[in-house]
Amino acid sequence: MLPSRLLRSTVNAAEISFFSRLSSQWWDERGEFAFLHQMNPVRMQFIRQKLLETACDEDETVSQNILKGLQVLDVGCGGGLLSESLARLGARTVGIDASEPNIEIAKHHASTDSRLSENLSYMHTSAESLLSQSRRYDVVCSMEVLEHVDNPALFLSTCAQLLKPSGHLFLSTISRTPLAYFLTIMMAENVLRRVAPGTHTYSKFIKPSELVEFFQSYGSCPWIAPSAAQPTRTEAEVRGIVYNPLSSSWNLAPRDAWAATECNYMFWVRKPAE
Amino acid sequence: MEVWDGISDARIHFSASDIGLDENTQGMSRITENINLQRGLLRYLSTMPDLHLIDKTKMTSIVREHEDAGGWPLVHLDNSKILRARLLIGADGFNSPVRKYAQIPSYGWSYDTQAIVATMFHSPRGPLQRPNTTAYQRFLPTGPIAFLPISPTASSLVWSIRPHIATAIMASSLSVLARMINAAYRLPHDSLQYLYNRILEHQNAGTPISVDEVIEEVEFRERAHGIDTTSAYSSSHTMENTVENQGVPPADSEMLPPLVTSIQPGTVASFPLRFNHTETYIGEGRGSRTVLVGDAAHTVHPLAGQGLNLGLADAECLARVINNAVLSGSDIGTHASLLPYTQERYFQNHKMMSVFDKLHKLYTTSFGPIVQARSMGLEVLNEFDTVKAAIMLNAGSQPRQNEASLRSTVFNLAGSALETASGVKKAADLTRGAVGSMVMNGIQQWMKTSRPGQSS
Ligand SMILES: Cc1cc2nc3c(=O)[nH]c(=O)nc-3n(C[C@H](O)[C@H](O)[C@H](O)COP(=O)(O)OP(=O)(O)OC[C@H]3O[C@@H](n4cnc5c(N)ncnc54)[C@H](O)[C@@H]3O)c2cc1C
Ligand SMILES: C[S@@+](CC[C@H](N)C(=O)[O-])C[C@H]1O[C@@H](n2cnc3c(N)ncnc32)[C@H](O)[C@@H]1O
Repeated sequence: MLPSRLLRSTVNAAEISFFSRLSSQWWDERGEFAFLHQMNPVRMQFIRQKLLETACDEDETVSQNILKGLQVLDVGCGGGLLSESLARLGARTVGIDASEPNIEIAKHHASTDSRLSENLSYMHTSAESLLSQSRRYDVVCSMEVLEHVDNPALFLSTCAQLLKPSGHLFLSTISRTPLAYFLTIMMAENVLRRVAPGTHTYSKFIKPSELVEFFQSYGSCPWIAPSAAQPTRTEAEVRGIVYNPLSSSWNLAPRDAWAATECNYMFWVRKPAE
Repeated sequence: MEVWDGISDARIHFSASDIGLDENTQGMSRITENINLQRGLLRYLSTMPDLHLIDKTKMTSIVREHEDAGGWPLVHLDNSKILRARLLIGADGFNSPVRKYAQIPSYGWSYDTQAIVATMFHSPRGPLQRPNTTAYQRFLPTGPIAFLPISPTASSLVWSIRPHIATAIMASSLSVLARMINAAYRLPHDSLQYLYNRILEHQNAGTPISVDEVIEEVEFRERAHGIDTTSAYSSSHTMENTVENQGVPPADSEMLPPLVTSIQPGTVASFPLRFNHTETYIGEGRGSRTVLVGDAAHTVHPLAGQGLNLGLADAECLARVINNAVLSGSDIGTHASLLPYTQERYFQNHKMMSVFDKLHKLYTTSFGPIVQARSMGLEVLNEFDTVKAAIMLNAGSQPRQNEASLRSTVFNLAGSALETASGVKKAADLTRGAVGSMVMNGIQQWMKTSRPGQSS
């Protein structure tokens, strides 16, 4: 159980009203959230790859539809960009968001695509309040949310507790580096105006090493062995995602590519089996 | 493939061995009749249980669904069914209703040229000759005429010519057409022009020209030009020329296609030629969830016989892009899912299309310096095997071995060789001054000023 002083909310009211104001824009591919639309296939690629890889390691009978039938939670789902993709690949998907207008938009958009109805549901709630329910998930995803929450440690441990044993946690966020500041705040928000000014706060950015450290000291049984400098391939993985302006697409950087995790990156960690 | 200039007779010979393919077993291109291609495709589709083919049905209209319901395209069929399309692929040809629905602007021009197509019968090649596997293309100032082998005794015609001449020839008998095809491969351009005028006169008088008159005129012209009756350039003895009494073929016989003896009835048709390219292949906004392939997106001059090939390459790419989108759980109707398709195909198509367009413009002129330069271009090109290989690769040939590396080295060559005044400049650069810079400037000036529609 968490110490009571940590039992606060991770929801930052200013952040939520900011995203609520932009809610009508979620499905405009050329609008405010164009970058998220472009990033989505890469996130899905990483999620599928990692699940396939661990399944192969464990010698399960691996099928291409690795997501099919898995219980998946998408925390901070926004308009449901990732949730829809997960559901389309057969995952039993629950999307939650702290902003009610976002959830309304997500529900409405999913209702226009009849293929989604059986696998996808949305709830306006915070991750913390799901803890009181008994349902736990095979996969928890939270994309581009960590940099917007209050008390990220609490947020991470909430996500961790929502996982079944051997479950997978996937995050994507932005590192706290001068490069990240330059690209995501200076250029994207202030110079190019690709993203609404105020979308990001530099001090909230989290470095990959900080995520690794968090899971090295997490709980009674750490998810990543504390001694090693780098997590092993079966414990956790950090992968940069880099934008190619020529093809206006994002790509997953090769493992250990130099400086690739200096800005946007994906993080995967696996909960130990009990 | 034999290609030559209708005015200067400068020639270029392409062969499969130029790009490392075996002449006999592989060849550089294959000619497939549409009906066989369609039959094969239908057979393949029938092996796919999830595919639902609705045939003998017309699309009557496309309506955009209400925004709140998703704004997907609703395809109304003449069997009163309505299909709601996650992605509507416009493979619906030049007049594409899908393109209109998507409001995708298209720009282009018509060539003031009509193409006559037909299936031609001829005698088989003799035992001392190559089999009927060579394509022949002669670039006349009225447009190119192409002879594409199908079987030992049948070949396909694509003859681009001014619309009024096409109409007059089409109005005459099939035997007139056969005679005129033979003449178009053999007589000098001014004689052809004379023959066209005779045909037009008859047309205007309301009595189509008789085949006897055509034969008479052709014989007269051949005598006037001193064409020996034993030469392959003579067409007056056409009909008696069977394998048995052919004997030793004339020395120049393989410079020309075999003499056409008759035209298969019901195969003659004609089409206006145009150049068209849309601004994009993906519908957006009110036209979202649409994508264009094939002639709906681009129409080219058929002088290189590439229209369908460009469309097939589109289809291959689109299928791959959709497959990737499905693998990542994406909605295949979205712009982001389809973007890689336009990125891969648009520039590629545009590059090829401009090559064909420029070739057409370059060859439909009899303006002296240009004829001189382009002939030199052809003759110089003939010597440069890599450049030739490049042209052939772009004209649909696929070397099977080592394809990737050949393509990459050769594609750029082709681009630069053909994009500037169709190889003339390249060839000139290569030979350093073989074509005077004055001529080059003249050509470039002319290429710049020749406007859509004024291609002669
Ligand atoms: C004279 C000439 C010679 C050519 N020679 C060659 C050659 O040698 N080699 C080569 O590669 N290419 C050649 N081409 C080009 C080639 O024919 C085209 O590029 C090719 O047919 C384009 O295919 P497509 O499927 O995009 O369009 P199309 O072949 O035009 O097919 C469009 C289809 O959509 C259907 N359609 C349209 N509207 C509706 C509706 N409302 N409801 C239902 N169905 C509809 C039509 O019935 C048609 O079947 C030539 C073209 C011409 C004009
Ligand atoms: C940048 S958006 C990312 C949306 C979505 N995950 C995607 O990538 O497409 C961040 C989202 O997180 C939500 N959010 C922020 N803090 C949250 C919290 N503590 N709990 C749940 N949702 C939160 C916001 O409302 C917003 O929709």
